Amino acid sequence: MMNIFLAELADPNVSIPLVLPEMLLAVTGILVMIYESVRPGRRRVTGTISMAGLILSAVALFWIWSTPGQQLSAFGGMIVADSLRMSFTAVFLLVSALTILVSTVWVEREDVHAGEYHTLLLFATVGMMFMASGNDLVIIFLGLETLSIATYVMAGLRRRDLRSNESAMKYFILGSYASGFLLYGMALVYGATGTTNITQIALNAETAQFPALLLVGAAMLVIGFGFKVATVPFHIWTPDVYEGAPSPVTGFMAAGPKAAGFASFLRVFVLGFPLVVGVQASEFLHDSWITALTVMAILTMTVGNIAAIVQNNVKRMLAYSSIAHAGYAMVGFVGAGVAKTATGRDDAIAAVAFYMLTYAVTNLGAFAIVTLVARKNDRRTEFEDYNGIGFRSPVLAFSLSLFMLSLLGLPLTAGFIGKVLVFRPALEAGTSLMVILVVIAVINTAISAYYYLRLIVVMFFRERTEEWSEPRISTALAAVLAITIIGVFYFGIFGNNVIEMFSKYPVDVQMR
Amino acid sequence: MDFINQYLLTILILIPTIGAVAIIAHQVFWKDESHLKWLTLGVTLLNFVLSLLLLGGAQASANGFSFEQNSPWIPAIGSNYHIGVDGLSLWLVLLTTFIMPIAVISTWHAIEKRPLAFYAFMLVLESAMIGVFVSLDLLVFYLFFEASLVPMFFLIGIWGGKQRIYAAVKFFIYTALGSLLMLVAIIALYYLHLQATGTGTFDYVTLLGSISSGSLAFGGASAYTGTLLFLAFALAFSIKVPLFPFHTWLPDAHTEAPTAGSVILAAILLKMGTYGIMRFNFTLFPEASREMAWIFIILAIIGIIYGALVAMVQPDVKRLVAYSSVAHMGFVVLGMFSFTEQGMQGALYTMLAHGVTTGALFLLVGFIYERRHTREISEYGGLSNVMPIYATVFVITAMASVGLPFLNGFVGEFLIMLGMWSSTILPGSWNQIATMAAGTGVIFAAVYLLWMIQRVFFGKLTNEKNMSLSDLSLREIGIMAPLLFFMVFMGVYPKPILDSSKPSVVEIQRIVSGGTKGGTVTELNIDGPEGR
Repeated sequence: MMNIFLAELADPNVSIPLVLPEMLLAVTGILVMIYESVRPGRRRVTGTISMAGLILSAVALFWIWSTPGQQLSAFGGMIVADSLRMSFTAVFLLVSALTILVSTVWVEREDVHAGEYHTLLLFATVGMMFMASGNDLVIIFLGLETLSIATYVMAGLRRRDLRSNESAMKYFILGSYASGFLLYGMALVYGATGTTNITQIALNAETAQFPALLLVGAAMLVIGFGFKVATVPFHIWTPDVYEGAPSPVTGFMAAGPKAAGFASFLRVFVLGFPLVVGVQASEFLHDSWITALTVMAILTMTVGNIAAIVQNNVKRMLAYSSIAHAGYAMVGFVGAGVAKTATGRDDAIAAVAFYMLTYAVTNLGAFAIVTLVARKNDRRTEFEDYNGIGFRSPVLAFSLSLFMLSLLGLPLTAGFIGKVLVFRPALEAGTSLMVILVVIAVINTAISAYYYLRLIVVMFFRERTEEWSEPRISTALAAVLAITIIGVFYFGIFGNNVIEMFSKYPVDVQMR
Repeated sequence: MDFINQYLLTILILIPTIGAVAIIAHQVFWKDESHLKWLTLGVTLLNFVLSLLLLGGAQASANGFSFEQNSPWIPAIGSNYHIGVDGLSLWLVLLTTFIMPIAVISTWHAIEKRPLAFYAFMLVLESAMIGVFVSLDLLVFYLFFEASLVPMFFLIGIWGGKQRIYAAVKFFIYTALGSLLMLVAIIALYYLHLQATGTGTFDYVTLLGSISSGSLAFGGASAYTGTLLFLAFALAFSIKVPLFPFHTWLPDAHTEAPTAGSVILAAILLKMGTYGIMRFNFTLFPEASREMAWIFIILAIIGIIYGALVAMVQPDVKRLVAYSSVAHMGFVVLGMFSFTEQGMQGALYTMLAHGVTTGALFLLVGFIYERRHTREISEYGGLSNVMPIYATVFVITAMASVGLPFLNGFVGEFLIMLGMWSSTILPGSWNQIATMAAGTGVIFAAVYLLWMIQRVFFGKLTNEKNMSLSDLSLREIGIMAPLLFFMVFMGVYPKPILDSSKPSVVEIQRIVSGGTKGGTVTELNIDGPEGR
């Protein structure tokens, strides 16, 4: 009997270190849950345990990342350790840690059951991590569902607020519907290729017996993932859900799950449906999804930006802006799809990851301030509520301005390097479609200047007529602001280290 | 001293920003707003003095740039922190460091609201502007080009006039749209260089080398690409200049900005556009430049005449000066696109002269605005009776702007017209026709400025509110003195500037005109005051 176990452990396909970050975080989540049931209502303790878990997980991640000679895949190729997984996982861990810190304000103000909230957040993060590390449609789906179920509940945490209920309900129903599409797509792809392993799908696509099935399957996957990353026309849920959810959760949803969606989306399409020259089915499939995603990217940027202009609510503005940012990230995504060399493709993948990192840092910084300014029940989230606060609370106002400029993509901020990186691969391809895509993206950036500047305008250029007492900046929030501000400048000026780190372990799939 | 010489440009860029941090720190710890302007003035003066070291000049390296510094910035993107000056950028850097202290003194009593933020933004702006003129890496150039927008946006938005929000947002979005398309062109250049030579680069000197050696060419089959890239760069710069029809942001921004903001905007920010065209468009895309020249010449002439005509009917003095900028910058563009040495030297000279003169005009408008809080011409009349010194200074400055001989405006405009006359860029006698059309602009300039002077300064003192106006204070005379000095000095002795800019301008002229000398004027040997 013992021998069987030993044989199993000796199996090279099982690699505990490779899933150590996920395991540590899942265990932390369970611990928090148990602690909450034994001694309920101790926010600081559950928060600290969660932070510790996130840090441990990050340490494990960097250990895998920086140990040379690591095994690149395990569990029968279901879990992989490449730069795509590592860089996105780093983004998720950062997002979660910042979200916990941002939430302290709101958790105390609204007297939320913090233990549950922290558990959900940790499980959501575990789900996101599996979405990035899974090289198998099944793992990706499991990760996605773990993430989704946790976020449905988080969106509805403000139980007594009607908007929050609406947010959760809407997210749940539409999200389940999208998951259905995703699962159906996966089934069709499996039917066509006979495998759920993404590397294998790419190989089998050449000999796919039912190319049409594969195409329909891929289309379903586009819908499913398109919903998760909120691309037009699958974005309709976003503004309502983002507006209704508690501010820190909105920040989390705009940064984390969106990045996770991109991680799987990238892996399935760029690595699973690559261009194999000479194979008609593959060429047609590749051509179709590139065109589809290009059109979606253009729509996503344009609709997101134009809708953001007319918003009067800051949270809704940021929701539409997050849609626009998904569009910019898709420019890099398409660039990865059309890359002619493996290096170009990996650089483009790293670029999307870096973009999500810069977006996450900037956006969470912005949401930290939105949370603080919103006061009880998230009441003060209109543009008017920011009138003239510029010199009343200069720290908050200048930080928020910095985040807006970074979202706009102004040089010296993280957003600029992120934009340059995602536009590059598309321009490298050099086809006129790609050039048009990038030109539309920069025109959109100019449009977006209007609403990002609007927040600066109301804060600094308008006078405040009503009373304004500066909200107290707690230690946790000060830490968030410090981290995000340093992050915005660090990624914007010294981004090089991070970019190199992000492309350290190239994806283990050759171009054909 | 070696250290300073080696890193002089970086020091010039950093000092204002460090100064900004210092005044913020000062305010946080001492909470005394009265020191701020002194500290800011000290920082800008220090920067001016240090910038004079550029004149002493180290030897230029083989590529024509001195005080070079080149170190990797983001290798993963392929961008280096590469800076340096040549005869073209040197004078624009000096103009920047010269105007800044003057702009700071002009705010002495004018800025009562939020002085800390005001001075901090001024200093950051100076850093960005110097950075624009010295960057030799396209991405770094773009970085500074965009970075200069933000402080100006705040300066207009917080300390501006009634329509300030509209003006600030318009200014920002106009300029941002143009420069973003330039960013696309910059990244595209990187990949074109990658395809052509095997290494991608943003480095201006490397790109230039590849273009002149022919390994990266925009002729023949890729002419279309070259034209598109040229247009992307040109759009960014044309908006900044601003060239007609992209000028509509300028009157609003100028009129609404606080005096110091208008001065910086007119004297320095506009020059970024013309500098960019000369530095990047001409040398990177010479074929496209020649091909497109006629469009720019026509737009420049429209700008000259339109700017002058619109200036003529302005009821607001500041708006009048703003429109006169459109006309003057039209001259600069015209001179550049003549592709002759005279024209391009004249363009550079006019850039500097316009910086001094129009800066001075905005200051003068600011002086009277501080006293009366109106800029309507109809509110004034007969001011020379109560403010004789002010009237004298104003008339001299206006004359310099009109282009009276022995004042600085004349030299540049004369060279530009000479260059355009002898140019061969347009077919047949169109070059001469273009020159004559532009020449009418000089006449119009005399009309709108003299008419304005007549209505404001001469005649009877009719408005009671003007009876008790005080003449210029010592501080105000002190601000104007160096400007007046340079108006006269640059007018009678242009040789030092023209001589030092000549090698660089001639080199750009050689590249853009495809290796041939442009006009026939070189035989007349008119390149300095002796020639006249």
